[in-house]
Amino acid sequence: MGKTIIDAHNVSKTYKETAIPVRALQDVHLHIEEGEFVALVGPSGSGKSTLLNMIGGLDEPTSGTVFVDGVEITKLRENKLIDFRLQNIGFVFQSFNLIPVLTSRENIGFVLQLQKVAKKDREKRVLELLREVGLEEKINSRPGELSGGQQQRVAVARALASKPKIILADEPTANLDSKSASNLLDIMAKLNKEEKITFLFSTHDQRVIEKARRVITLVDGKVDSDVQQKPT
Amino acid sequence: MLVQIAWRNIWRNKTRSFVVIGSIVIGLWASIFILAFAWGLYKNNIDESVNRHLSHIQVHHPEFTDQQESKYVIKNTDSIISVLQKDDMVQSASMRTIAKGMIASPTTVSGVTIYGISPKAEIKQIGLNQNLIQGDYFASGKDNEIFIGEKLAKKLKIKLRSKVVVTFTDIHANIVSGAFRVGGIYKSKNLSLDEVNVYVQKQTLDNLLDLQPSESNELAILLKDESALDSYITYVRQLMSNQKVEDWKDLAPDLELVIESFNLYTYIISGIILLALTFGIVNTMLMSVLERIRELGMLMAIGLNKRKIFFMIMLETLFLTLIGCPVGLFIGWLSVLVLGTYGINIAIFSEGLASYGFSSIIYPALDGQNYFTVALMCLITALLSAIYPAYRALQLNPAESIRKI
Repeated sequence: MGKTIIDAHNVSKTYKETAIPVRALQDVHLHIEEGEFVALVGPSGSGKSTLLNMIGGLDEPTSGTVFVDGVEITKLRENKLIDFRLQNIGFVFQSFNLIPVLTSRENIGFVLQLQKVAKKDREKRVLELLREVGLEEKINSRPGELSGGQQQRVAVARALASKPKIILADEPTANLDSKSASNLLDIMAKLNKEEKITFLFSTHDQRVIEKARRVITLVDGKVDSDVQQKPT
Repeated sequence: MLVQIAWRNIWRNKTRSFVVIGSIVIGLWASIFILAFAWGLYKNNIDESVNRHLSHIQVHHPEFTDQQESKYVIKNTDSIISVLQKDDMVQSASMRTIAKGMIASPTTVSGVTIYGISPKAEIKQIGLNQNLIQGDYFASGKDNEIFIGEKLAKKLKIKLRSKVVVTFTDIHANIVSGAFRVGGIYKSKNLSLDEVNVYVQKQTLDNLLDLQPSESNELAILLKDESALDSYITYVRQLMSNQKVEDWKDLAPDLELVIESFNLYTYIISGIILLALTFGIVNTMLMSVLERIRELGMLMAIGLNKRKIFFMIMLETLFLTLIGCPVGLFIGWLSVLVLGTYGINIAIFSEGLASYGFSSIIYPALDGQNYFTVALMCLITALLSAIYPAYRALQLNPAESIRKI
């Protein structure tokens, strides 16, 4: 048995901003080990994004606790949480992933700069990451000059920049064509295998689900099923 | 890199940025112009009063200021004047005899102050010769010439060469009268003075008052450089320790008040202009923040803390201001330079302005310090305006921001 990297206990989240409170998550238990490649699936509104936000410390659960790499992030104060995210968690969103005014090099370098990595090392790491996602030639392109798939690959490279233990991806292939989606998944799977980075991603896409080794299904904010599978 | 992001962010929506920059430019220009126009208006009034009426320094018998009686004289003024006139710091010095009395035409009478002047010396001071609209400046050689203002001439219903009788008390408290012929009609930039001041030869008035030619009621000294006023007045006080020596600010405290109130009023007006600018910046920057909610959420998610986000929004406003300020300053400076040289003719208001002692041609003027102050006010206003939009960015929750479309 590997090291536990994500441990969520009784996590519930109720949104009270609306007239009728919405229970997005109800007593969710989740246990993910280091190096897993997990797909979070379920219909719209089932709580996938909410759960990812709780694990990433972007939002606070109404009740329950979340441990990431042994740290109870639900107890961390805002600035500590931001720092924790910076050091340990990489994010890939469905869209609006990149800073539009920065080039691929600068987008990736920005995270490294926040981590106070020296310029020389930064440059080296940026090149390395872009090479890994196959976009060396787009180093000086701004997001507007990249296709959707390329933008998501830069986003993955950016998420990897800080050498995080986990990458959380919220429907990373939702806006991509099948070829780009498959390409992105291959890159993610390769990084998972070679660098032992834990991937947890939400998706609707059956082809993406087939690539995962573990599939957790959420229905109405509850874990409906949790199955290991052999990726295709 | 935050500086780089902020700089590039402002060029994402060029139209919006140019609207903000344009507001800053117009706000700054308008503030500078209003300050310069108002100062030009008042400065003209002050210069007119100092150069044409008061001079920089006046010396009187200590009793004269309160009593206004011609018997309170300074003696030996002719020798003092010749000393002063030789001084390098003095532009011009003159002695005057003054009497309060009545002027009568065939139809009406009016109260006046009669100035007995030395025509040659007063060319550089009262400058009556430049203001004459009819007649010639003491050209006839006759000693019964009187020069009156156009407004008084209208009131008395008299013309050039008309005869008037001036009545006042001499130094022995006897009522004396003198018949004069109007040698010239003048129109200065101060209509209120035009109605009460009349000018005759000093020698003529001295004879009527029974004063000696070396005696005068007033010594007026116009300096070459006003900045030397404080040191020179000390010297004059030592020279004439028994007399009352006053500078123009003592003589016309209302003018000093004008300068003080100028600062207050014009800064209030500038404040109102800048307040309007505030709303423009708040609105635009808020729009810019609200448009980027998802992006700001993403920045927070990847590790940019809220302090840095706040700083980034403030930086964006600072950059826009730093672009707008020099442009506004330059246009403002250029406007003041051009209009300060050629003047703004507001002739349609001239009658009203002249009655308050203002000229109908305004030469806007502003000193360097005021430019700096206005630019600083503009910068502070812009940064204060950015606080609310930046604060709104701080209130964002990363998860909610990312969810927003």
